[in-house]
Amino acid sequence: MEKLGHVCGERIAEIAESRNEIWVLDGDLADSDGAEIFARRHRDRFVNAGIAEQAMVSVAAGLAACGLRPWVFSFSAFLCCRAYDQIRVCVSQTHLPVVLIGSHAGGLSNKNGKSHTILNDIALMATLPHVEVWAPADRDDAVFCIDQIDAARRAAYVRLPREPLPSIGGAAAKIRWLGKPCRLAIVSAGLSTHWAMAAAALLRDRGIEISVLHFCQIWPVDAAHVADLLSEVEQAFVLEDHYAAGGQASILLSLGLPLKIVSLAWPSDWSGQSGKPLDVLKLFQLDPAGIANRISAALGSSLFSALTPQLL
Amino acid sequence: MQIAKSRDDLLGSSDLRVDCRSIRRRVAAALYASGGGHYGGSLSVVEILAVLCRDFVFTRERGDDTRDKLILSKGHAAIALYATLAQLGRLEPSLLLRYGTLQSGLEGHPDMLLTRDIDFSTGSLGQGLSVGIGMALALRASARRVWVVLGDGECQEGQVWEAAILAARHGLTNLTAIVDANGSQDFGFAQNPDLPQSPLPEIPSIWSAFGWHVAEVDGHDVNALHGALSAAKSNLSKPSVVVANTRKGAGVELFERMPTEFHCTRLTSDQHRRVMKELA
Repeated sequence: MEKLGHVCGERIAEIAESRNEIWVLDGDLADSDGAEIFARRHRDRFVNAGIAEQAMVSVAAGLAACGLRPWVFSFSAFLCCRAYDQIRVCVSQTHLPVVLIGSHAGGLSNKNGKSHTILNDIALMATLPHVEVWAPADRDDAVFCIDQIDAARRAAYVRLPREPLPSIGGAAAKIRWLGKPCRLAIVSAGLSTHWAMAAAALLRDRGIEISVLHFCQIWPVDAAHVADLLSEVEQAFVLEDHYAAGGQASILLSLGLPLKIVSLAWPSDWSGQSGKPLDVLKLFQLDPAGIANRISAALGSSLFSALTPQLL
Repeated sequence: MQIAKSRDDLLGSSDLRVDCRSIRRRVAAALYASGGGHYGGSLSVVEILAVLCRDFVFTRERGDDTRDKLILSKGHAAIALYATLAQLGRLEPSLLLRYGTLQSGLEGHPDMLLTRDIDFSTGSLGQGLSVGIGMALALRASARRVWVVLGDGECQEGQVWEAAILAARHGLTNLTAIVDANGSQDFGFAQNPDLPQSPLPEIPSIWSAFGWHVAEVDGHDVNALHGALSAAKSNLSKPSVVVANTRKGAGVELFERMPTEFHCTRLTSDQHRRVMKELA
């Protein structure tokens, strides 16, 4: 079980051993968001921007404009919302390779509650031109994601959950099946891939054959590749740690694939609240049993519904 | 594009004041051609940009890879920067009349992806000083400096002060901010005469309180500007700011008399004729 922010911080610090152009900026949360390792190993290339996310993102863009490769850490809610205009103007509109590492993304904020919760970050970031969106699910995924972004020299946003996560197994890839492709799929990314795997196991125990298609990179998507991966799938349940609007379900729907797409996401009228992860998940039937029940129910009623996309 | 090769080619005149007059004419002609624009803030910043560009940023001694960086954080004065570059022979002057038109290469606000010599894209106010910090950190070990031109109205943006704190903390002596203090902004506060009317009252003492070295000059006096910017280079402990007191719409009596009306507007053909005559 590892916090992926720390895995990312560690990987970036490793890369930086032989690469002087790598810098890290942090919004005074280095001990929580994973930047701490870099701060200790490369203090000359670490900037604590202070509690000033707007300046931090623009400073990173200034570094990048001089040929350096800045990685910017904070909590997702503050990075995406507090500094959105700076990401829009200084990063997206300049095509500079600034990478944003947002920890504590999604609905499980633990004690922090709604002020620290962001459920629309995929929508915000995937609608900015030239910004990739990634959501690794375990250590190998996180290292793969950092290496891919580093090699691509593009701007990116990496959304990471607060919770430490175990391995999901297998070799990391941008998009991959966890299990054998079949008629039914749960599509997920990052943290929700762990929910999806647990729910799929419960469904298989009930005799329902279903597999998980995990996205490590959420945006942009190669439509042909996704269509190919989903070629056997008749119905996909998109399970996301995000609102339905603007998230993975929206992205998948926009591809116009010939399959039924059902969204399982946080309610659009909920902003987040304090609570232990499992308690919060249960409240909205996003715990493994809740997800399995909702999918079972949807499958039971799908005999009567047309094969059209819908958002539950 | 033909690039000037020597100082003599760079300038239409050996007297920068004559060049500033020419830059003002170019600004007025371009804004009229494009159907109007930011007259006030473009004309107030002319001497600041002329001195910066000629004597500090685009000097003959240093090429593009080694020159200083310039960020026009008050991006709405883009035409003043384009006109200055044209005056220095770095931009084809006839292009100015296509300012803000599709695929002219001269966007309404500076765009580093489309226009040579633009070191960073601006337009959303308050961001340039932070970008300048990034550049100053990156160039700290070199002899290159970073110059950031802000408006006094722009200093109402909170991000300016996030940057002011951070630059002072890092003691960035290779970073200089120049505030074009033209004393006016778009709508302003005239509707309530009981309120302070200046965009940012007490500018020098505020910057000083944030830990910056402050100089205050007449922003239309090219020699005073040159002196203050030169002095900023020798400051060894703090980032420096030059508060350049200017007149909004400087050079045109009508604009100076009614700064709010001519912040961003279009002129009648009659008004334009009179403005060009005044700047002749």
